[in-house]
Amino acid sequence: MNIFPKSLETMEQALSASTLKQRVHSANIANVDTANYKSKKVDFQAALDTAMNQQSLSSYKTDNRHLSFSNEAAVGSTKVLTNNSTQYNNNGNNVDMDVEMAELAKNQLWYNAVTERVNGKLNSLSSVINGGR
Amino acid sequence: MSLFSGFNISASGLTANRMRMDVVSANIANANTNRAELVDGEWVPYRRKSVELSQSGTSPFANQLQSAMNRGNTAVTGVNVSEIREDQTPFTLTYDPEHPDAGEDGYVRSSNVDPLKEMVDLMSATRSYEANVTALNASKSMFMKALEIGK
Repeated sequence: MNIFPKSLETMEQALSASTLKQRVHSANIANVDTANYKSKKVDFQAALDTAMNQQSLSSYKTDNRHLSFSNEAAVGSTKVLTNNSTQYNNNGNNVDMDVEMAELAKNQLWYNAVTERVNGKLNSLSSVINGGR
Repeated sequence: MSLFSGFNISASGLTANRMRMDVVSANIANANTNRAELVDGEWVPYRRKSVELSQSGTSPFANQLQSAMNRGNTAVTGVNVSEIREDQTPFTLTYDPEHPDAGEDGYVRSSNVDPLKEMVDLMSATRSYEANVTALNASKSMFMKALEIGK
């Protein structure tokens, strides 16, 4: 029997994806004046898929060369992508400060929201353990 | 701890921008320095200095290690000051034969600091510093929130 709900694991994944996002945006902001730096972003779709696919079938692998099911994401598939296509500055840098700041604020709120939900889950769990008292 | 590395990244940005401000201050302070260093028995005026930034951990080994640890992901690193370069533009010449540093033709060579450039650099460094502070505060508040889990 597993007393911790599956959604708790999903939220753990969401929190770690959010942490990675925070790190990537911090790095972009720190490198805003670095010549030839290209902005990076977290591939959120991959992060979401990883989190969502906790619910789906997972393949049983006895060898690391075995293939995954098509709807099964490989664990830890959160990718950091580099955007090489644009250029804002004449020094080859393409960090858009406004976007970075907005993403930072968004990510922070999202992190807080997920933490709040984790707390809610844990509280209801402890309420069950205490017999509703 | 991955959230702490976010702190370190922002801190590297703060350090780099502090360094830029220091260099700008040095440039402004030395804008009128005619005798900065002695080369072959002759005084050379102060040369404007500028900071070159680079992404930290871009050495081949550090890069390989980082991408191996991230399962092939691009390395997410901070910034560091790779070099403080001297501006090689010519010194400004003013005609002042009475000046003790005047050459035989009566011209005084003085530093190539342009206050306008320095002020622009200063503004840019200040803004970048503020942006890094914001990022640091965001990381901090996330960390504080994480500590509340299970309370």
